[in-house]
Amino acid sequence: MNDNGCIHLNNFKAAKGTKPYKVVNAFFVSCTSFDARRYKATTCVCFTCGKPGPRMHSCLHCIYFGCYAGHIQDHSKSKKHFLYIDLSYGNVFCAQCQDYIYDREITEIALTNRVKEAKSLGVSVPYIPWLPNHNEAMALKRLRKRRVISQHTTIGLRGLQNLGSTCFMNCIVQTLIHTPLLRDYFLGEKHKCKSQGSGKCLVCEVSKLFQEFYSGAKTPLTLHRLLHLIWTHARHLAGYEQQDAHEFFIATLDVIHRHCMNGVEDVEKKENGRCNCIIDQIFTGGLQSDVVCTSCSGVSTTIDPFWDISLDIAGTSLQTCLERFTRAEHLGSAAKIKCSNCRAYRESTKQLTLETLPIVASFHLKRFEHSSQIDRKISTFISFPAELDLTPFLSSHRRAVDVGAADNNNAPEGIFEDNRYSLFAVVNHLGSLDAGHYTAYVRQMKGSWFKCDDHMITRASLREVLDSEGYLLFYHKTVLEYEGDVS
Amino acid sequence: MTFDNENILIKEAHPRLTSSGDRDRFKELLRKRLIECGWRDQVRAMCRKFVKENNGPNNVTFDMLVNQVTPRARALVPDSIKRELINKIRENLHRQRNQ
Ligand SMILES: [Zn+2]
Ligand SMILES: [Zn+2]
Ligand SMILES: [Zn+2]
Ligand SMILES: [Zn+2]
Ligand SMILES: [Zn+2]
Ligand SMILES: [Zn+2]
Repeated sequence: MNDNGCIHLNNFKAAKGTKPYKVVNAFFVSCTSFDARRYKATTCVCFTCGKPGPRMHSCLHCIYFGCYAGHIQDHSKSKKHFLYIDLSYGNVFCAQCQDYIYDREITEIALTNRVKEAKSLGVSVPYIPWLPNHNEAMALKRLRKRRVISQHTTIGLRGLQNLGSTCFMNCIVQTLIHTPLLRDYFLGEKHKCKSQGSGKCLVCEVSKLFQEFYSGAKTPLTLHRLLHLIWTHARHLAGYEQQDAHEFFIATLDVIHRHCMNGVEDVEKKENGRCNCIIDQIFTGGLQSDVVCTSCSGVSTTIDPFWDISLDIAGTSLQTCLERFTRAEHLGSAAKIKCSNCRAYRESTKQLTLETLPIVASFHLKRFEHSSQIDRKISTFISFPAELDLTPFLSSHRRAVDVGAADNNNAPEGIFEDNRYSLFAVVNHLGSLDAGHYTAYVRQMKGSWFKCDDHMITRASLREVLDSEGYLLFYHKTVLEYEGDVS
Repeated sequence: MTFDNENILIKEAHPRLTSSGDRDRFKELLRKRLIECGWRDQVRAMCRKFVKENNGPNNVTFDMLVNQVTPRARALVPDSIKRELINKIRENLHRQRNQ
């Protein structure tokens, strides 16, 4: 089977072009406008039996609608019309060949309309799986070696040597290596380096690291070079003494992001002028702060980008910490803020909510308290779930709750919204403040967890992960939405 | 389902769901859920196996494939997904009625 159609479709296209297909597709298959949807709603029934399907088809010649089981076959016999469009999927059926026909041009039209339809519905654009182009197909034929991923593969798992007290770094590297979207980016060799081969590009170094992790070798790796590169870029982390894993995480993201910004890579800025590098695509969310003046109820809203959320240890679970984080807080008389409405300093309340969610949501439980009097670690157990729904902490959701909308959870758009996240890495700090050790749990595949303790990698159960103390918690969006480019 | 119910569904609910775009949104939601739970991969494997057993795509028509795979594919849809979709559609219809 190929995608060059059949002789009947080709004859039709030669006589009438693709316009008939295009029009029927845009009105009855992928409705690209509100009018099209309304039109489809009232007319899309079988002209013979009056039912809306199953498997409604439209005659490509005269736009007769009929169900597949019988009525289009009758139509083709009586009218000698042989080409039909499946109104559910847009495929073309040829009654002479008695099968569906693949045609490249038709497929492209159908795809363009599907993207337009998704835009007009406000849903994510359909995922288009990777198809090898000619060169890639040739390469695949030439290189016959394949690696099959099964339940028992240990691919991607490698220990990291401790170079003094570098466990803080090892556990962050393990987390990044097992961040699904970041892995796909680097293993897909998406980093197009401008300073190729100079040996100074940190992003290239990270890229190489991914290759080594997934090479299939099992011996522990040593991170000398990466360490050196990060240290030259983030001087405050220099030295071999123990550092804070959280600080290292943020510094690493920052170093990679700045590398991309400073022209190592051609990164297109987003409309709002913000950086759109791989780090920002994956880790950046928007934090909304609403300050409400208690005198005039005027609201001033600001939105700031964030890479992670630091949470005070409050209550017993991640959710209670998040509730506390997004609760409206009275700022009191000691912290008056200038209200632009009243033109005076006023008392106010402040509320933080999540305006946009990142693909990876990183939570930092503030277990370390540093003050002039005392430095201490809070080891309270905070439970955290394997699956987390962030909907209740969204700005839009909070607004609905405050306004008291009838049933906030079921706001029309709420049904189709999906803000579920899955845990994929946990960094733990063991021991005391000054004699501590970091380890990480990472999810290698769905349901497959491993503990990374420097050079040692051991299998772990989800229970074990969820029972751990938890210092840094990493969640990945469960279902990815796609944005398409459509002109 | 009785005939009356079916009639109401065709005459009222179906056009309303279509014109509001919710029918397509539900379709998209269902598609997502089926991918998530591995259903699509299972069905794809079933199709591939069937095509192989019949000596390649040139000996298989779409109808043969549909007839072979549909009953088993239907049975493989997890109950939790059916329940979620039914509840959401019911909710949606109620809300539209009350408007
Ligand atoms: Zn019919
Ligand atoms: Zn016709
Ligand atoms: Zn034909
Ligand atoms: Zn580079
Ligand atoms: Zn950036
Ligand atoms: Zn005011």
